[in-house]
Amino acid sequence: MSSPEPPAAARRLTIARAISEAIGQEMARDPSVLVMGEDIAKLGGVFGTTTGLLDRFGPERVRDAPISETAFIGAAVGLAAAGMRPIVELMFVDFFGVCMDAIYNLAAKQCYFSGGQVTCPMVLMTSVGGGYGDAGQHSQCLYATFGHLPGMKVVIPSNAHDAKGLMLAAIRDPNPVIFMYHKALQGMGWLGTVQRSITDAPEGDYIVPIGEAACVREGDDMTIVGLGLSVHHALDAAKSLAAQGISAEVIDLRTVAPLDRVTIRASVRKTGRLLVVDDDYLSYGIGAEIIASVCEDPTITLRARPIRIAHPDIPVPFTPVMEHFVLPDAAKVVAAATILMETDR
Amino acid sequence: MTRSGNRNDRLWMYATMVKSRHFEALIKPAYFEGKTPVFNMAKGPLPGEMHLSDGQEPCAVGVCAHLTAGDTVTATHRPHHIAIAKGVDLNGMAAEIFGKATGLSGGRGGHMHLFDARVNFACSGIVAQGLGPAVGAALAAKLRGEPHVAVAFLGEGAANQGAFHEALNLASVWRVPVVFVIEDNGYGISVSKRACTAIARNADRAAAYGMPGHFVAGNDPDAIYAVAGATIARARRDEGPSLIEIETYRLEGHFIGDAEGYRPGGEVDGLKAIDPIPLYRARLLADGFDAADLDAVEVEARNLVAAAFAAARAAAYPEPQEAFTHVFA
Amino acid sequence: MTDVPIPADLWSADDVAAISAWLYDDGDSVQAGAVIAEIMVEKSSYELIAPATGKLQIVVPAEAVVTQGQVAGRIE
Repeated sequence: MSSPEPPAAARRLTIARAISEAIGQEMARDPSVLVMGEDIAKLGGVFGTTTGLLDRFGPERVRDAPISETAFIGAAVGLAAAGMRPIVELMFVDFFGVCMDAIYNLAAKQCYFSGGQVTCPMVLMTSVGGGYGDAGQHSQCLYATFGHLPGMKVVIPSNAHDAKGLMLAAIRDPNPVIFMYHKALQGMGWLGTVQRSITDAPEGDYIVPIGEAACVREGDDMTIVGLGLSVHHALDAAKSLAAQGISAEVIDLRTVAPLDRVTIRASVRKTGRLLVVDDDYLSYGIGAEIIASVCEDPTITLRARPIRIAHPDIPVPFTPVMEHFVLPDAAKVVAAATILMETDR
Repeated sequence: MTRSGNRNDRLWMYATMVKSRHFEALIKPAYFEGKTPVFNMAKGPLPGEMHLSDGQEPCAVGVCAHLTAGDTVTATHRPHHIAIAKGVDLNGMAAEIFGKATGLSGGRGGHMHLFDARVNFACSGIVAQGLGPAVGAALAAKLRGEPHVAVAFLGEGAANQGAFHEALNLASVWRVPVVFVIEDNGYGISVSKRACTAIARNADRAAAYGMPGHFVAGNDPDAIYAVAGATIARARRDEGPSLIEIETYRLEGHFIGDAEGYRPGGEVDGLKAIDPIPLYRARLLADGFDAADLDAVEVEARNLVAAAFAAARAAAYPEPQEAFTHVFA
Repeated sequence: MTDVPIPADLWSADDVAAISAWLYDDGDSVQAGAVIAEIMVEKSSYELIAPATGKLQIVVPAEAVVTQGQVAGRIE
């Protein structure tokens, strides 16, 4: 008797590869898609987001731009208004300062100001996050900054499967989508590797819907909400907590805006305890918004006051002893979770 | 090509280029410490990015030879040669790059954010960000009736950034004593100047802003010295701003670890053959400088750098809670 | 049993190379043609492609230095 066929092997990708694969598949399917940014052609993007695309699609559709963010993002808005689907890379989210008008006043308001006549099907992909010594102008997250402003969607995957699905969804979305990718999760090697971010990603076409958070670990004692890198801190912490008999549910936001309050509230309604962890600045941030969204729901009873962990309201410091002191990590999540369990109301 | 610079200045320029190159030569192996075998940018005593200035030293010394401590300089993410030429405290600079408590900012800023208020030097990691502040510093000098000038260094890629347009226009409209110095090393990260700049010479853009533009070829310290001297003197006479475009080159990648696949084969080797420092030494000798004098300044320069690195390595890291100080004054 | 050697001739033999990440765990099923690991040389990254379909056996762990031609894994 012959042995049965081994099960179909899963196909693993890094987030960087998932992003470039998604863009390549969509460019092959839809001739109106093009991609531009700094060093995205021959170099394939400093963070590997456009690897291989120049060879496949040529320089008319894969365009290196000068260091002129206002101009090329503005041009992307114009391309989108004309019915094309541009993908633009802002190399570091920290650089938004030189081009924010084109993003929040122009791209994000095109549909509204035109009463729906003119849309802006543009993807702005950008790297976020620190933890590797790149200091205050190259390490920021700014989830709350972008999430706060109306007219644009903001997504951030924590793994390759979601990265590909979210990018495909983003390109097809008729609205401007800010696609953030965390540098620590790209799988670039020179930024370290978070093994859990390297996941199966089907070769074919699929979507991860924008606006839907995912429960990535079920639990009963508390809800830990994270996004991007902090999902991995939460999962690492949940594993430690399980060894102590504490069952933590982990929610991966996946989308910052529009925020999936339904999923978050349902989870906290079940567990009664809420801990939010993200690496953006604390005040007026992700944690604040999620805690407020939960507290204003009259059907939720909290067993303990909620806790938020974030980067403090200071510029990201360069020297590692300071940077790692202020950045969230799994240990800080475990410590906060312990406090949550102690303060039963 | 002029050889008529002040003799002391020429010797200073040579010594400073040597000092600067030796600084980078000690940075490079330190940067790779702890990062092998897999290059992980977060590891080692110098985490993060590192942008070396090897090859661009003439731009720094040719300009800064004409500056005093009271003159302001703003620089870029590739600042070491300019900081050294401006007289930034070498020990504080090395310690800051190593993230130590004795660093210029106690470790808060690192290699791209070096500040030394004693000599009015600052640098930034955002392309073209230093241009506006240089205009402001120049305006302050003018309002106070001081004979000081400001110099903003930028790369040729920054000339395509909106802030360049605004800063040059404003500098002319308000007629402030600022000089904009473009170090044209031919590349942004991987994209050549040719591929992203609409015209061949950024110096020609000066006309659009009502100021003189000068192009200096050949990465030549004496030629840079001559043009910089003229533009800085013009500014000090309250005759307004200027733009200088210097043809230079970087011998290293954009950042350390850059595989430089975008550079044509043989390009870097060709550049190493015209390394400006040995060329300048040969020229000084031909002009009658004593080899013993050149050797002596080299030894002194290397000793100063070595001492700065030793002190930086030995210094303590700051207490982590120090991260919370100096957010506000 | 098929050997998975570190590719030769993609970079200079003088450069130090290391496996930066295995995309699969020891014992996982892999498909021929799949990228199963990333190799870093200075700051460039190269792919290690599975030459066969089957179960992966990791011989050289991540972050270890490798030389060209060295057997990094096996597939059976």
